[in-house]
Amino acid sequence: MKKALMILMVLLVIFSMSANLFANGQQDKGKDEITMLFMPGVADPFYYMMEKGVRAKAEELGVNVIVAEYPKSWGPEVQVPILEATVAQGGVDMILIAPTAIDALVAPLKKLYDKGIEIITVDTFLGDGDYSKDSDYSFPLSYIGSDNEKGGREIAEHLAEMIGKKGKVYVNSTNPDVSSVMGRVKGFKEGIKEFPDIKLVGVDYNMDVQQKATDQTLAALQKDPDIAGIFATNVYSSQGAYQAVVNAGLIGAVKLATWDATVDMINALKKGQVDLVLAQKPYEIGYLAVEWGYKYLHDGAEVPKKVIPGFEYFTPENVNDPDMDQYIYK
Amino acid sequence: MQNLNNHTRTGLLLKIGRQWALLFLFIELIFFSFMARGFLSLNVFQIIFFFGTAVFLLGTAELFAIITGGIDLSVGYVMGLATIVSAKLIVAFTKTGMGPGLSITLGILLTLVIGLLPGYVNGMLISKLNVPPFIATFSMLGISHGVSELLIAEKAAKNLPQLANTIGNGYFLYYSKGIGFSFFSRPEVARRVKVVEILPNVVVIAFILIAVFAFILNRTKFGQHTYAIGGNRDAAIRSGINLNRHIIKVYMLASFLATIAGVLYTLKYVTGKADAGASSLLDSIAAVVIGGASLYGGKGTVWRTILGGLIIAVLETGLRIMGIPTFDKYIIVGIILITAVLVDQFFPERTYKE
Repeated sequence: MKKALMILMVLLVIFSMSANLFANGQQDKGKDEITMLFMPGVADPFYYMMEKGVRAKAEELGVNVIVAEYPKSWGPEVQVPILEATVAQGGVDMILIAPTAIDALVAPLKKLYDKGIEIITVDTFLGDGDYSKDSDYSFPLSYIGSDNEKGGREIAEHLAEMIGKKGKVYVNSTNPDVSSVMGRVKGFKEGIKEFPDIKLVGVDYNMDVQQKATDQTLAALQKDPDIAGIFATNVYSSQGAYQAVVNAGLIGAVKLATWDATVDMINALKKGQVDLVLAQKPYEIGYLAVEWGYKYLHDGAEVPKKVIPGFEYFTPENVNDPDMDQYIYK
Repeated sequence: MQNLNNHTRTGLLLKIGRQWALLFLFIELIFFSFMARGFLSLNVFQIIFFFGTAVFLLGTAELFAIITGGIDLSVGYVMGLATIVSAKLIVAFTKTGMGPGLSITLGILLTLVIGLLPGYVNGMLISKLNVPPFIATFSMLGISHGVSELLIAEKAAKNLPQLANTIGNGYFLYYSKGIGFSFFSRPEVARRVKVVEILPNVVVIAFILIAVFAFILNRTKFGQHTYAIGGNRDAAIRSGINLNRHIIKVYMLASFLATIAGVLYTLKYVTGKADAGASSLLDSIAAVVIGGASLYGGKGTVWRTILGGLIIAVLETGLRIMGIPTFDKYIIVGIILITAVLVDQFFPERTYKE
């Protein structure tokens, strides 16, 4: 048995080495043909929306798009195997990826970069996201995504207005090591400091589990029943925190500002269960990533190290406005 | 192969029946070689092994427990705990001003010692206190998960030295035209110059350990006793095996292997994560069963478990390259599992102890 397995392995190695040689010869494709791989962070409406943007621009420009399998949960141990297997089919010129951790993705992406594949990070970034100064993680062409700190600060201001600039606020976030949500929390903390009568009572991390966000928010409301405002930093936090406020019967008493305009959150806003929804522009992020990638690969254009589409805010006043409809993630 | 009853079903059918898993792996490889672009390459085979290490190690851990007639459901979350403990220790040592090499070594060694603890508790509960293995290890799953979450509640386990990343994602051997072979460090070449990377470090480490444990199971008295306990418990006790002590050792060994898997995860992803091994647990039990071990105990080998793990890993990678959602994997693995058990019933008298 062991012998058979050994022989199998040796055969495989020899087989694969010879296959490698053949493969090199086969990969001549049309010079003008560009192939981009879109590697989403996790299966959620935000990235589905981004994929639509990627596909739309790619079709316009005649770029081939491979969409990698959507990871079923958030984390490098789920994303990296999918990334590597998908790239292994060959022919990929550029990867548009939402890295699921600021540090764990550096080595795997560097390896692909060294092989000649260009990288653009979308929605989340590597390291501190500053690719303009030389560092271990400065090899991606660009970060295309929201300015999360700015969004956090703006939400802080809006929430402060809503609660009359005084009282306790609470934050529910997802991961402490993912650039996007880290930025939102950081920005929110800075923003809330401007209001001396507002106290931030806590930040919880639900690790992308909605049920946990509900439990954590309920616990926070139990500990500080006079919480006046809650900021939820992404889809899971928003839907979880919203559920907790519903369960605690505090709708209306607690102002809920949430990030990410999923259909559920917009419906909640329409019903008056949520008070503010920040919409990022995933469609535009995907669209811009393909556009800049194409400009770089096809025309040799210089790509800005950061490309930042803005936000839109859904409020009870504008939620039924037909112009806003395009910003809902569907 | 020592076989008590190989004259009942002889000839080709028997051989195929015994080696059906190997045959299935071959069919998979041939199928994907034709259907998945770029599948047949050194790179893809290394990907399969690189990402398979967790299942191989957890599968080996699981195998020991299963041979004794038990099961260890905690290995996945013990692995998660180990990622967090090792990451936190390495960061803590680095903060005291220790060099990265020393911090990593110390952090890992300490984690390996701590990693014996869940196994010890499992073993005590199962042997001395007669708690069914399913319940004991299921409780340990919850405890490990909870402790992990507590450890990272305040502060995430990250910011490890760069060296950890280099080891975890590095290769044993590199080859580049002109420069030739170089060990452990990637040759400094311009971008797009082809460097052939051979044998990922984590795969080398994992397989050395797996070979050691295969040897223990196959060639030592400890291994024989493990089979004996699963085969016929009363006979094992009568022949003078200290049952309680042996069971404790087996579960400690399982939790040690899970800890190794956790440490390798930390090196690969430079982060500690509570659910790092959660998704590998069911795959590892599947690997053991596909490898022909019986959940009633008494049979199974390490290499066949690895074979079972490979069947799953090849399937997953092949489907990914083809762009087929791996939800299909669950269905196929389910069918393979049923096949494994049915084939076992059809050729019942085999023992895999070589």
